[in-house]
Amino acid sequence: MSTTNRAIWRRLYDKPLSAILNRIERLNDVQFAYLLLLPSVLLLGTMALWPLLATFEMSLHADDLFAAGGIGQFVGFKQYMGILSGQADDLLPRPFFDLNQPFTSALTVTLLFTVIAVAIETVLGFGQALILNKSFRGRRWVRVALIFPWAVPIVIQGMIFLLMFQPSIGFAVEPLQQLGVISSAPLSDSASVLFIVIIADVWKESAFMALLILAGLQSIDRDLYKVGDVVGASKWQQFKTITFPLVLPAVLVALLFRTIAAMKVYGQVETISNCNTLPTMSCLVVSTFNMGRYASAATIAFITAAIIGVVLSVYIVQFARMDRGGL
Amino acid sequence: MIQRPQSVYRILFYVATGFFLVIALFPIYWLTILALTPSEQITNLGLLPNGFNPGAFIRVFELVPFHLYMLNSILLATMATIIVLLVGSLAGYAFGRFDFPGRTVILLGVLVISYFPSVTFFIPLFQLFTGNVSVLGVSSPELFNTAGAVSLPLSALTLPLAIYFLATFYRQIPDGLEDAARVEGSTRIGALFKVIMPLSAPGVATIAVVTFIITYNEFFFSYLMVEGMANQWAPIVHGLFRFQNARHVFYNLIAAASIIGVIPMAILVAVAQNKIVSGLTSGALKE
Repeated sequence: MSTTNRAIWRRLYDKPLSAILNRIERLNDVQFAYLLLLPSVLLLGTMALWPLLATFEMSLHADDLFAAGGIGQFVGFKQYMGILSGQADDLLPRPFFDLNQPFTSALTVTLLFTVIAVAIETVLGFGQALILNKSFRGRRWVRVALIFPWAVPIVIQGMIFLLMFQPSIGFAVEPLQQLGVISSAPLSDSASVLFIVIIADVWKESAFMALLILAGLQSIDRDLYKVGDVVGASKWQQFKTITFPLVLPAVLVALLFRTIAAMKVYGQVETISNCNTLPTMSCLVVSTFNMGRYASAATIAFITAAIIGVVLSVYIVQFARMDRGGL
Repeated sequence: MIQRPQSVYRILFYVATGFFLVIALFPIYWLTILALTPSEQITNLGLLPNGFNPGAFIRVFELVPFHLYMLNSILLATMATIIVLLVGSLAGYAFGRFDFPGRTVILLGVLVISYFPSVTFFIPLFQLFTGNVSVLGVSSPELFNTAGAVSLPLSALTLPLAIYFLATFYRQIPDGLEDAARVEGSTRIGALFKVIMPLSAPGVATIAVVTFIITYNEFFFSYLMVEGMANQWAPIVHGLFRFQNARHVFYNLIAAASIIGVIPMAILVAVAQNKIVSGLTSGALKE
């Protein structure tokens, strides 16, 4: 036994690489698969799973601005109660949920942003997808142009709309002010900033919606339209009876992805204005963290995740209903 | 009744296409106008430039080392992309071609993790990177203000998409190719790199492009995991913020720097649009 051990050790010392390769060669399939997964497990474990569990653990404690690490006693779910009921509002930079101030409480602002932005993106994305589904000269370059906003960095996207709505510079400010859509100081007024951030998001993300819906459109059997032509159905009737029902699953998937991403909105707000003016849920976590209230920040982070989870499950239930043919 | 419905549809089509093109590209035109207008003439600007000052595109690099921020952004995105490709293709290969106990559970776990917002990872990672987490008395390395503090979380963020995409990609490669290679005397890892990797090159390239774009564009960790100095790995997020300070905001320079910052992405979209489309759609629609 000891001689073989020594032999292995020597081989490891002489030719470490071939020794390792030999070891790998002797693994069975299951062991080999686990070995291939090891780097992913390590990366996701340290950068995602551990932080997730640590954040949850933090959220069960009280804030302590003077303790090392900023975390106080274990209090169970008391923080969650305080933040959801509004009792902790005085300690937070902005309330988490307060219907009396819909534009400056995290949940209401985030939901308003998500619902309005995603609804507009769905309509525009559908339109773009219908265009890209046709074959015409120059389609390649039209597609490049339409995808381009999706690839613009968030900070540059923010800067574009910051400049557009900067009073005295942006061309959009005066006409919109006269219409009463935005206020006289649009970049420091919550309702106006919400409007601007929605416009910015629609500009960037409609293309993502379009690509997913386009993939759905392209999976539709073209013969169905020939049948439609033969029976004399108008384009609109064909859209209603063929295109729309068949593309609906793809639209739902696109909606799901966009809704989840929209509920995490942070960078656009920080660039265009600041997290105090428009405290979205992610914003509120960061500004609470910046106050040194780590435990409260962790709690808000987990409430955010839970709310996204609820929305996610609504979609999943919808998918399950469609799978059973209920539509 | 309309006489020729076909031509009406055609006109409608061109109007809609024009409308979407203008919306998509107008902001770039607007940035160009702002960048070219001298800063003292920038107020009450219409839709045409007020003067001609291409110097703004040089001033951007003098006032703030914007080229260094650009370099940092590109290096950070490259690092994250390399990590994701290496780690993700191993895992994608395992999920795509092997059956093992716990496969579904682990795959589901990867999916669940990817739905959590960045804020749920942030606080512990911040403490970890500032040396405030200790394991058995050894405190964590201070990665704050280094490349690792940004590129490691970003790799973890984009890894699930890569794993899912590559797993379906590896699954489509015909069985028996590895066996043939191993009969020829190739090792297991050798078969992976000599046979499977070349065959999956299109899929790997797709994930490389998409990961690079996502990480170059990312805001949350890019902003919060570094303080903002160009020599401490701060990416363009911080570079752009430095054109606004308490005393003055250089609107024309923000516009010029935004155009420069977007160039790598414009090139990637023009060159690799097919990869982007397939990467985004098959990742999402495979379920």
